[in-house]
Amino acid sequence: MKKLLCIIFILIGLQSFGQERSTISGYVTDSRSGESIIGVKVYIPTLKKGVITNNYGFYSLTVESGKYTIEYRIAGQKTESIDVDLTSDLRFDYEFGGQYQNVEEVIVNAKAEENIRSTKVGQMELDIDEIKKLPAFLGEVDIIKTIQLLPGVSSAAEGGQGFYVRGGGPDQNLVLLDEAIVYNASHLFGFFSVFNADAVKSVNLIKGSMPANFGGRTSSVLQVNMNEGNKKKFGVKGGIGAVSSRLTIEGPLKKDKGSFIVSARRTYLDVIMKAAIPDDSPFAGSSYFFYDLNLKMNYEISKKDKIYLSGYYGKDEFSFGNTDDNFQVDMPWGNGIGALRWNHIFSSKLFMNVSATMTDYQFSFTSSQDEFRFKLNSGIRDWGGKVDFTFFPNSRHKIKYGLDYIYHTFTPMSVSAENDETVFDTGVAQELTNHESAAYLLDEFDLTENIRINAGLRYSMFQHVGPFTRYVNGGIGQPDTTINFKKGELIQFYHGLEPRVSMRWMLPGKSSIKAGYSFNYQYVQLTSLSAVSLPTDIWYPSTNVAKPQKGWQASLGYFKNLLNNKFETSVEVYYKGMNNLIEFEEGALPADNVNDNTDNLLVFGKGWSYGVELFIKKKVGKLTGWVGYTWSKTERQFDDLNEGNPFPAKYDRRHDLSVVGTYKLSEKWLFSAAFIFATGNTLTLPSSWYVQDQDLLFNYGQRNSTRMADYHRLDLSATCYGKKYKEVLDLETGETKKVKKKMISSIAFSIYNVYNRANPYFLYVDNDGDFLEGDFKIAVKQVTLFPIIPSVTWNFEF
Amino acid sequence: MKKTIYILSIISLLFSCTKEVEIEIPGYKEQLVIDGSIETGQPPIVLLTKSSDVYSPTDLSTFFNSFVSGAQISVSNGTTTFDLIEICSDNIPPGSEALVSELLGVSIDDLANFHICGYTSFDPSIFGEIGKTYTLSVIFEGQTYTAETKIEQPNPLTNVFWKPDGDLTTHGFSWATLADPPNQFDAYKWEVKRINLDIDGNPMDANFDEPFGPVFDDKFFDGMTFDFFYDNPFGYEDGVLDDYAGLYELGDTIVIKFSKIDENVYEFLEKKYIQLSTAGNPFATPTNIPNNISGDALGIWAGYSPTFDTLICQP
Repeated sequence: MKKLLCIIFILIGLQSFGQERSTISGYVTDSRSGESIIGVKVYIPTLKKGVITNNYGFYSLTVESGKYTIEYRIAGQKTESIDVDLTSDLRFDYEFGGQYQNVEEVIVNAKAEENIRSTKVGQMELDIDEIKKLPAFLGEVDIIKTIQLLPGVSSAAEGGQGFYVRGGGPDQNLVLLDEAIVYNASHLFGFFSVFNADAVKSVNLIKGSMPANFGGRTSSVLQVNMNEGNKKKFGVKGGIGAVSSRLTIEGPLKKDKGSFIVSARRTYLDVIMKAAIPDDSPFAGSSYFFYDLNLKMNYEISKKDKIYLSGYYGKDEFSFGNTDDNFQVDMPWGNGIGALRWNHIFSSKLFMNVSATMTDYQFSFTSSQDEFRFKLNSGIRDWGGKVDFTFFPNSRHKIKYGLDYIYHTFTPMSVSAENDETVFDTGVAQELTNHESAAYLLDEFDLTENIRINAGLRYSMFQHVGPFTRYVNGGIGQPDTTINFKKGELIQFYHGLEPRVSMRWMLPGKSSIKAGYSFNYQYVQLTSLSAVSLPTDIWYPSTNVAKPQKGWQASLGYFKNLLNNKFETSVEVYYKGMNNLIEFEEGALPADNVNDNTDNLLVFGKGWSYGVELFIKKKVGKLTGWVGYTWSKTERQFDDLNEGNPFPAKYDRRHDLSVVGTYKLSEKWLFSAAFIFATGNTLTLPSSWYVQDQDLLFNYGQRNSTRMADYHRLDLSATCYGKKYKEVLDLETGETKKVKKKMISSIAFSIYNVYNRANPYFLYVDNDGDFLEGDFKIAVKQVTLFPIIPSVTWNFEF
Repeated sequence: MKKTIYILSIISLLFSCTKEVEIEIPGYKEQLVIDGSIETGQPPIVLLTKSSDVYSPTDLSTFFNSFVSGAQISVSNGTTTFDLIEICSDNIPPGSEALVSELLGVSIDDLANFHICGYTSFDPSIFGEIGKTYTLSVIFEGQTYTAETKIEQPNPLTNVFWKPDGDLTTHGFSWATLADPPNQFDAYKWEVKRINLDIDGNPMDANFDEPFGPVFDDKFFDGMTFDFFYDNPFGYEDGVLDDYAGLYELGDTIVIKFSKIDENVYEFLEKKYIQLSTAGNPFATPTNIPNNISGDALGIWAGYSPTFDTLICQP
């Protein structure tokens, strides 16, 4: 550690001496909305030196004093430049788009050649406008579904929650919305993500070596940044679709100083279901809907200080009743997320962001039948704080350091049950409190003209503190005993060093080789009793029984841009190892959590995954899109499962192909298509049957040894844009001129699953008939969720 | 157009499609299945079969042909070991029809129609006794399988009663009061049959049957005294109208067989009934049913300690 710090500072020092140097720094914003732009390349051609604006649109470039032409480059847009005489440090906020009036789209994310120049291995960025052009399921633009089209990323299954990155589980992805953790990023069993595309500014996925400023997960980081709102003028946009509608209002709090954005979305499946289910039906009253609300405000207190307040609240309400059986189930769940951030510029070389975040995820399940009532609650509440500094000592170094802290409160399961007037003993409601913290330091520096290294260390700590009741299993025939821990009492302390390093080596011809290694601890894991991911899955922290998960990954990639950056291509290989993975023991039941600790029902094992990913993307022109292909293998090994033999993970996929294309036929029409092919998921089915006491029972073979049919699907969409401009007569000059219309609208037609492929959602073994009557039959049945689904959405903006 | 979209959307969300598929399920291996039991005052009975590939036929003749002959089976009560003899339902010793019918759970009339074979002993010295532990030994094809079970101290129901369900006056559930002993593991099994006569003058039900979820342990109510109810497991073919499914009729006379079971037997039966109700359900973990048999065999060696109550269904 000490040696590394010495090396870093010596390198910084060596490059800081010499000629007099000056720094140009500031924010890059969009000239029409005033929103900061992430990833603009600020470049001095004569020196061949440049930097990229950070997540807040801030840049800092230190060079020898002198006269320069400074370029502001955005991929797909014209480069803009200014001439400066840099004799001393200069604060220069730049409004992009002012030099060219034909820049029509609001720019939010604009990294040029970042794919080959960045040291981030396995980083994928998606432009939100690009996402919006793709076919949308039921007309609802979905960020998570688009992420799943990238190589190395796959979905659990149609209707499955979350996403899987390089063989990791959905809980191994750090999903951040404006730096606050999102634990459950799905609505309606994963059919829709919680991210409302109208409220989203940028999406960034790191699936390889994550930099040291991120931690707590072993697979990937998905950073979703919300829009800031227009600082110049008020605007409204929205969409009306078949099952949901959304509305966004944005505008200045004070012109050029601050802005707000409010975005709301609601499905009306409940209204449709109410109309479809007659009042006298036993299922009357069954319904489902979700709504979510995004809010963000930002204000520039001074030239050096900006504050941001972000909020998200979303809730799903599912209810099902059958009056014939006096049966009723209600299942609400949802996320509440808040983040308050303060950006402060100490100097042209030192940028600070301080964040205070809150995340609240609650799930509830209530069922009643006749006189039996059952209620289950589960949830997580996090209070977090982060201080992050970015220091730009010179153009060759970017140093980040900071502290990260989260106070977790987990309620894995709180159960109550009553039968008539009898209240059952369901034990003490389990609640686990934890402190998770980390300190990190990383330096991204140019070792030579062509070699850039991002080296970092993260030291993470995790404490499980009381109050807590530990159940100790007494064994068969013996009563359990309990150990009670007092409030604040330290029960378990884990800590460890997490080294991260990645390297980029620029080659001639706009190509580079990148390599990376990362080691991560993960202190919270998701446990699932079912083969399908559900909101009932339980987040569980590390305890003295459940040790923290350890993950390491090594990756190597070759990146090349072709035809003047029109095409981005890459080949990446990776190997990932994971220890202390958790699964429920065989035969565990939800009721087993009662009067027991969830971790007493867990078994522990390891996993590994390796693969190769190919990617080619066309970024400009009438036809844009990408092709991504992944070959991979993912296995798990648990001493207590599958007789200790390794078995494929349920999302082990040998082949995964995505072909995505958008074709702009004219100003009026835009067409897009997405094709997906994936090897079928694995599952465990019974391999034999036997009879006991006249009942036919199943015996299961090797875990996950059966593979479902391959998954493939084609989606198409066509979007018709209304005219953006109208011609008006200038009474003074007598000439007609183009004026932007007050309201712009478009209609998006989309077809999901065009050729009506019956893709497997799950398989089950069905048995029917009476064994003793001789008409008994066993059959394997496949359940398919979605046939061909057309939809239409009207989008508007004024 | 809008209506069409609404309808399509709701159909797709509410009604998924199911079809039969042919898919390879690897991992089949033939295993011996031991289905043995012993209860208070009854001889031990052990049925030996073999497991079948999931795609193999499930007709009765396949099942009857799967009975295993030639095994060497013995049961020990801790002091004496008794060898069991092989009997078949279509060839049983005269005079033991009623006992075999009870042991196999097949009506006397059907005994000759079925070819169900088992191993038992008619020596009263090995009939089940409360508090004793019984060890089963099966030697078959050179392999030895052993298992142990205990006939627990019974815990009779404090009270049984019937009450009409909701607004009904003529139909209701069977209710009982249980006083669970504190500070010990207790598990129970509930079985029932109606003994009032049908129009032919025979008891309504020849054998005991189990309602939904017939086993439970005292995890939720250790040491508590409480009332609980069970539904009527008999259906339309047994004379229960669909409108009153799960309920007993005013005037029914039922016998409740309420057995104590040991922890291993409970584990087996709990998982068995869960599998029966959730088999194939993706929301449940695919689980092999644990057993108490050493060696690579399936099944259970179960001791039961029943008590019997007769309930006449009237308010």
